Amino acid sequence: MSAAVVATGLGKKYRRRWALRDCTLEIPEGRIAALVGPNGAGKTTLLHLATGLLEPTAGEIRVLGLTPGEDPGLLPRFGFVAQDVPLYRGFTVTDMLAFGRHTNARWDDHLARTRLERLEVPLDDKVGHLSGGQRAQVALALALAKRPELLLLDEPLASLDPLARRDFLRVLMEGVAEDGATAVLSSHLISDLERVCDYLILLSHARTQVAGDIDQLLGAHRLLVGPRRHGGGRIAGVAAVVQEDHTDRQSTLLVRTDGPILDPAWEVHEVGLEDLVLAYLGQPSASALPEPRLATIRQEASQ
Amino acid sequence: MIWVTWRQHRAQFLGGAIALALLGGILLLTGPRIASSFHDGGLASCLSTRGADCGDLADRFLNQYNNMWFVAVLFLVVPAFAGVFWGAPMVARELEQGTHRLAWTQGVTRGRWLSAKLIGILAATVVGAAILSISIARWSYPLVRASDNRFIPPVFDLRGIVVGGYALFVVALGVAFGTLFRRVVPAMAATFGGYAAVRVPIDVWLRKRYMSPKVISFPLFGKGGPGIGFGRGDWILSSRIVDAAGHALSSRGGIDIDALASRCPSLQGVQFPGKDDLGTCLQHIGARTVNVYQPGSRYWPFQFIELGIFVLLAAGLVAFTFWWVRRRVS
Repeated sequence: MSAAVVATGLGKKYRRRWALRDCTLEIPEGRIAALVGPNGAGKTTLLHLATGLLEPTAGEIRVLGLTPGEDPGLLPRFGFVAQDVPLYRGFTVTDMLAFGRHTNARWDDHLARTRLERLEVPLDDKVGHLSGGQRAQVALALALAKRPELLLLDEPLASLDPLARRDFLRVLMEGVAEDGATAVLSSHLISDLERVCDYLILLSHARTQVAGDIDQLLGAHRLLVGPRRHGGGRIAGVAAVVQEDHTDRQSTLLVRTDGPILDPAWEVHEVGLEDLVLAYLGQPSASALPEPRLATIRQEASQ
Repeated sequence: MIWVTWRQHRAQFLGGAIALALLGGILLLTGPRIASSFHDGGLASCLSTRGADCGDLADRFLNQYNNMWFVAVLFLVVPAFAGVFWGAPMVARELEQGTHRLAWTQGVTRGRWLSAKLIGILAATVVGAAILSISIARWSYPLVRASDNRFIPPVFDLRGIVVGGYALFVVALGVAFGTLFRRVVPAMAATFGGYAAVRVPIDVWLRKRYMSPKVISFPLFGKGGPGIGFGRGDWILSSRIVDAAGHALSSRGGIDIDALASRCPSLQGVQFPGKDDLGTCLQHIGARTVNVYQPGSRYWPFQFIELGIFVLLAAGLVAFTFWWVRRRVS
């Protein structure tokens, strides 16, 4: 399994504040990854580092095996939709497509045009007159017309109504499926992305807190409900307690498991992705990282 | 990429063309009148006659159109507008509106993106400056011919190739400030201020030093004068009257009667000395005129030197912009 994005000890400092710090992660090829974290966690910074818009202050990032900003050969191979969907508001949609055609050697005009026509986006209207959903579709069409191997989208759904969200995600999934591309979508809400993503990266406080296949993550976490628990006695099968809530008589634990939990004192429930994310965000010191992989990356980096 | 530059900046190019057309309109309204009185008054034929003394005709003609130079002085600031309205927004608007995140993640590198935009805008600047310079040169031809002085400021600044240099410089300054400040309006203001801050010292201090000036000295009276036509086309930097020993007759360079009185007994005690008495006195002390000047033959060398300075400044600013866009901006 090769990786579309590999970050090693990646950091970006603005004046005195670290926007992203010691970020080590790997996004495997072919995945649709959700980059989740509260506002200010460093999602935009990470995406800008991946596109070469920013240069790292520390560490290294490799995208499709190349260094963003250094290798011009990377630019045609990824598509990027930046936060707030920047477009030239005085341009018509047709002008925007011409802009893409003139700034990209690899450009599928037919694809972009038919896709926008099918969505009934008026091609002769100025971008500034379109609805938020239509603008997002234009930006997505521009990114997809590059036929990218990697698609990076920064808060693409933030300003869209539920119907526009559904349409946007549908077009995104079609596009990604056609080319077998990797996609990274950032959002501060996991519920936006839960339906389409199969990989989760959780950033908080400028660091990677959780990274992994969503099914594996869900499989490795359980919600335990049992009698009020005192002290930190180990429960067989629990690798770590991520979050615990106590009432007078009852304890609820969200745990990462390393084996089956057979203790009859505990009622075992499956965990939803949103609960999982919230539990980790509530406990910044807890983490779930694919340790063996990271170890090998560190070894590679130190060689 | 040229298409992108055109599409993004066509409104600005159109605005520039309209502004040039309006300025051209002012010149067209006033130009023909100046030209016809230049010809009909007989000054044109007089000036083309070898050895003719056209001083009175020329003075009358120049007095009639003296106010026209105020119109011309307006044109001194015109190149600044290219920097303010074309240069400053070029990168600043992208950064301000966040569209650089779109433009810089397409297939072309930032360097190519910047090159395409700069080539388009600088080419338009050169064309605009050429139109401006030629229009003013044609319009002002009778006035310059009559005064025979294209070397003195601000005439020097309005005609010839320097106009292109100013325009290239101020556009490059606008682009650089826009890249640095990332905001359109502050960049526009800084561009205007920066243009003045560079132009004024060069105008008043540096230009007269491009080549070491010549000095000519001749008696105030009698034989040995420079002859008719002296000073025509020259840029006289200073003119002083000195005595035979070379001491100035007054601190201001002119004649101070009180100071003279101590040296010529005929003037002592006279409240208002007559012209003859004064002349005798000046002759007695050997008064001479000393002019420091740049000869008119240096007009084109000076134009090229000034053009070179501004083109070099523009090149430096363009280099800075490339470096900043590639390395620093994000």
